[in-house]
Amino acid sequence: MTRWGWTLRASAAAVIAAAALAGCGAGGGGGEVQQNEAGLDEVSVGVIPILDVAPIYLGQEQGFFEDQEIELELETGQGGAAIVPGVESGQFQFGFSNNTSLLLAKEQGLDVQIVAAGNSSNGEVGSDFGAVVVPKGSDIKEPADLAGARVAVNTLNNIGSTTINKVVRDDGGDPTAIDYVELGFPDMPAAVAQGQVDAAWVVEPFVSIATGQGATPIMSNFAETDPELMVASYFTSGATAEANPELVERFTTAMNESLEYAEENPNEVRRIVQSYTELDAATAEQVALPAWPTEINTDSLDLLADLAVEDGAMEEKPDIEAMLP
Amino acid sequence: MTALSRAAQVLALPVLLVLAWWFATANSTSFYWPPLSEILGSVHGTWFEGRLTTDVLPSLGRLLAGYAVAVVLGVGLGVLAGSSRTFRAIAEPPLEFLRAIPPPVLVPILILLAGVGDQMKILVIATGCLWPILLNTIEGVRAVDPVLRDAAAAYRLSLPTRVRTVILRGASPQIAAGCRQALSIGLILMVISEMFAATNGLGFTTIQFQRSFAIPEMWSGIILLGVIGVLLALVFRLVEGWLLGWYHALRAAERKG
Repeated sequence: MTRWGWTLRASAAAVIAAAALAGCGAGGGGGEVQQNEAGLDEVSVGVIPILDVAPIYLGQEQGFFEDQEIELELETGQGGAAIVPGVESGQFQFGFSNNTSLLLAKEQGLDVQIVAAGNSSNGEVGSDFGAVVVPKGSDIKEPADLAGARVAVNTLNNIGSTTINKVVRDDGGDPTAIDYVELGFPDMPAAVAQGQVDAAWVVEPFVSIATGQGATPIMSNFAETDPELMVASYFTSGATAEANPELVERFTTAMNESLEYAEENPNEVRRIVQSYTELDAATAEQVALPAWPTEINTDSLDLLADLAVEDGAMEEKPDIEAMLP
Repeated sequence: MTALSRAAQVLALPVLLVLAWWFATANSTSFYWPPLSEILGSVHGTWFEGRLTTDVLPSLGRLLAGYAVAVVLGVGLGVLAGSSRTFRAIAEPPLEFLRAIPPPVLVPILILLAGVGDQMKILVIATGCLWPILLNTIEGVRAVDPVLRDAAAAYRLSLPTRVRTVILRGASPQIAAGCRQALSIGLILMVISEMFAATNGLGFTTIQFQRSFAIPEMWSGIILLGVIGVLLALVFRLVEGWLLGWYHALRAAERKG
């Protein structure tokens, strides 16, 4: 009898705990923005600590956000899949993510709203900030040769593989014959050098690191997909956009100033990237920089969605119009 | 009475928890907390139309292979280390060092050693499962009654017979305890190993669902992992009951006095 009673009590406690947990989950949504003592809005932005987000760090340093009465708090997440829930729950007011991830989120029913351009291909085939590299002496000389090869990407069925597939298709190869495996960007240069994979898709600074170890770039998948391809965006949740339309506007203004500043001051970019990554000065000097236009490139979103549908990464195109400011 | 009330006891909490989950999320509009009905509705289409053979079975195969390697190595090394004071003295510092390294941080190195295929994943699982088995085996072997050992030696039993009937038998309750701990570690490492350089697997697919915002499917993968954990523990208990029946009977007799 005592054991039975204990089971009952434990069950009751667990039920309450589960209900409380579910309650927390159902809430959230975001919307409320705190103000600091100086009257600035406290805004958290989820970013990935990579070269691509250099403008927002520069903008923070230059005071572009303070001018818009925003106190910026930059929080680093592992990637879009971790940042999107943070923005959705209101933990971050804004986030940075690649556009294919945002399109996937939209297609699955998440109300993501793009508020500013992130970064774009610099359009220079051969020296863009993203490339597919192969080991020295590889038989793979051109994109079409990737058919049948084992290729490392950081996330399957995302912007890396869909743009590679497009370039391979355009080159007359069969992208369905590519055997993609997931590896973290930092692990790729070694995996290529050791021959664990036949090729790897890397972004800077890992393009520089891999080529420094003797690897050869065979395609610039972003630039060859579209010389003006907009790769990533800053976004917010529908709830935040609805509750604070003028905050979103101020954030966009500051962000655009930051993008312009980064575009005009490549040396500043090379300097600041060393402050939030482990990049050494020598590598920071030589990495290929992305472009940072301020215009939200709708054609790019359209193209990326088409490619994702073509590869089966998503079932149908999301309503892109509804994601735009 | 007994069978029925025992079943009620075992099932009461799970049933209550599922009901609580069901009703707490019934009207949920939250993207990341979909209604349980929606999650359960996605289970069949997600897992039982092909993924069982392309993802779940390869995962379980790697788990069992890694676990088996760990059991063989752990028990083998454990018997050696437990029996020989010198071996223990020599091997202890490096073993403690290796034990302190969490297997996930070894993954990039294991990729270089073993490639990006199944061997790497089996190695990750084995390196994590090894320690509880090894350490428990050492303790178990050390605790074997020295009188029994001496008696076996005096009777000139051959070494294999002594190892089998005296040492392994005597240490088996602790070996089993180590194996049970290793089982849950193995399940965790199965998922972690599939976060790197994977192209299939239960953990891999669940993470892909999370990344592609297929949230009910992601939850169904999490639930399936839990169910597999419960089933593995159940199978383990059956095997253990069969192998250690003598020990449990002995304990029960001792308790009665």
